[in-house]
Amino acid sequence: MRTLFKSALVALLFASAAHCQSPSLRLFSETRPAMGTKFTIHLFAADERKAAEYFELAFDEIDRIEEVLSNYRPSSELSRINSRAAQEAVTTDPEVFALLRLALDFSRRSNGAFDITVGPLVRAWGFFRGEGRYPSAEELAKARAVVGWKNVQLDPASRTVHYRFPGVELDLGAVGKGYALDRVIELLREAGVQSALVDAGSSTMLALGAPPGEEGWRVQIPQPANRTQSVSSVLLRDASLSTSGSYEKFFRLNGRTYCHIFDPRIGEPVQNMLQTTVIASDATTSDILSTALFVLGPAAGKELLRSGPDAKVLWIQGEPQALQLDFWRWPDPVFPSASSPRQSPRRPLADRQFVQRRFFQR
Amino acid sequence: MNRRQFLGTAAGAVAMSALSSSAGQAQTVPPSDQINLGIIGVGSRGREVMRTFLRIPGVRVGAICDIYEPRFAEAQRVLRAEVPSFRDYRKLLEARDVDAIVVATPLYLHAEHVIASLDSGRDVYGEKDMAMTVPECDRIIKAVKRTAKKLQVGLQYHYAPWYVEGLQRIRDGKIGTVTHVFSYWHRNNDWRRPVPDPKDQKLERLINWRMYREYSGGLLAELGSHHLHYAARILGGMPESVTGMGGIVYWKDGREVPDTVQVIYQYPNKSTLFFSSITTNHFEGAHIKVYGTKGTITLTHANGRYNYEPKRAGEAEMEEGQAVRTGLITGPTYRAEMPYSGAAEEFQIPEGDSGSATFLACQSFVDCIRNNKRPQVDEIVGRESGAMVALGNLAIQTGKVIRFADHVKPLA
Repeated sequence: MRTLFKSALVALLFASAAHCQSPSLRLFSETRPAMGTKFTIHLFAADERKAAEYFELAFDEIDRIEEVLSNYRPSSELSRINSRAAQEAVTTDPEVFALLRLALDFSRRSNGAFDITVGPLVRAWGFFRGEGRYPSAEELAKARAVVGWKNVQLDPASRTVHYRFPGVELDLGAVGKGYALDRVIELLREAGVQSALVDAGSSTMLALGAPPGEEGWRVQIPQPANRTQSVSSVLLRDASLSTSGSYEKFFRLNGRTYCHIFDPRIGEPVQNMLQTTVIASDATTSDILSTALFVLGPAAGKELLRSGPDAKVLWIQGEPQALQLDFWRWPDPVFPSASSPRQSPRRPLADRQFVQRRFFQR
Repeated sequence: MNRRQFLGTAAGAVAMSALSSSAGQAQTVPPSDQINLGIIGVGSRGREVMRTFLRIPGVRVGAICDIYEPRFAEAQRVLRAEVPSFRDYRKLLEARDVDAIVVATPLYLHAEHVIASLDSGRDVYGEKDMAMTVPECDRIIKAVKRTAKKLQVGLQYHYAPWYVEGLQRIRDGKIGTVTHVFSYWHRNNDWRRPVPDPKDQKLERLINWRMYREYSGGLLAELGSHHLHYAARILGGMPESVTGMGGIVYWKDGREVPDTVQVIYQYPNKSTLFFSSITTNHFEGAHIKVYGTKGTITLTHANGRYNYEPKRAGEAEMEEGQAVRTGLITGPTYRAEMPYSGAAEEFQIPEGDSGSATFLACQSFVDCIRNNKRPQVDEIVGRESGAMVALGNLAIQTGKVIRFADHVKPLA
């Protein structure tokens, strides 16, 4: 059931943008549930009717993509592929094929750190519609036997998907939201929108232009598990930002924390990584990279980044009281308190001079 | 963003990769089974149907047609290929390498485009509703007969496994005698599409054709038709009469078709079908509830379920005589489900039947072409649906009870 939340936006985050807005354009926002989270769209439009048309266009597209990529809905195209691809090569449409091809290419480039076949592991560890649990050795072995991006064969000539054996399945949860945002911004741009920010559950955001009179859409990167304290602030303009974190979905056992993001190569949740934030030119890339670089960590992650994907990255590891930060092309982002909070007490957010004033442009 | 910039992004790569794949010709399908589609109308629904057809091995799109040229680029983005594009559907029908036609134009054009396509010697997948008026439906019936070609109407939910299972259970008598079908499709939006230049009334009417009576059957055609004919299959085909009300309650934005409609159809045995569509509240979305003397079938766009009715006097427990033989057990007042709806049994979608209703409908159409079968949702079904929508709208517009016999002649 879809719930509709509709209001003129007066959110604190965008207060300065609203203050400087063009007299002919007003800021509108709308939130609806989709893809297991809530999507929010902020955009500038001439009036409420025009804004409503844009929102319908955008949310219809999100619904369409969810209907295609969901692995929760038996009627989705992905479910159809999952149900048949072990028995036969399944033809799919050009859009789905291209997305699978891109995702598997990132699997190859990340040496399997990003893997869209990770679903059986997620299920074995109890994170599919659950809060997580430690699997039995048998469950783990069974899951590991079918996880691996090389178990998926794509044939561009026939546009088919084929699994090497039963049990393999695709899960596009780490790329679908980003892809949906790219499609939405494309449609909004074509419809005449010049300034918008689309947000998929706060983990992936994509900016079109900037609020009138502003350099970009401001996004705060919070301390892990503490959304009231930020470690950096960026201005997004025609760029995307994605964050993966270990603190939204996890369980603890025998003093260890097990999060919902897996290292498919070892079949276990990633350890010791708190948060990874990626800025890229498009949301599909930032969404994929935020997971891949969370799994890889800074050292191996930088190797991947040297090979090509154009992105800016902020890794946060360590303990909440002693955060360790690492970067890739992320210009001087850290508030002093983030790395050593006891030595440098934080000032209130509104009083702070943002260290990071550069904006990112495609 | 220009094409080069577009290709420079991952999304662009997704959008344009497989460009050379010839709009998806599957290599495993023998040449004799390859089907080239011509798409007349590549608006949002036309593109979705086109995208869905490309999931079927051996199906490709050979040509597209639309009177609004910006849609060519949108269609080619779906195809990842450039195909011949026409503004005049007659030019598309002249193309040699088109085997079958998809018609996804506004409702008022369906009859013209479907008949011309049939007359060109092609089988046709025509979007719902089949036509806007009963006489137009009758002309299509004649065209199918004259050309001996196939027509499948885009009432895709008939192909959804949970709809099929629901119908089978009803026909098997699982819910007893059906006395009433209660259905609704409720939304909370203005149903509008953005128009690049809102002052351009011609463009407004072209893009938002659903809002204008000249082109559209409104909510009853665009949403109701999916429910009405399913109910008709249960209750006995063409109803005897219809009454209804509707109006523009909330979206007073220049539209001509109601934003709120309620209609009641009655059958010769006095059983009834109720349909409601509103555009101001989305609570519970879309449901068909089929009420029988022994149970209820509920269908949504994603699933189906069965609820049994409380058993009546004279059935199993009393016949076994346990109340007399073994006596009764006393205890504190036990809790019963309130309000009572009976135990629910969710329909299970059989393995291998997954896929959207639209996919299953498109797949069935291709199967009918390749194996010379008659479509399940054919022109006869389309005529019944078309008549129910047209006369439902007439009832709303006139405020009268409309008798089907006065408008729909028996088929020869």
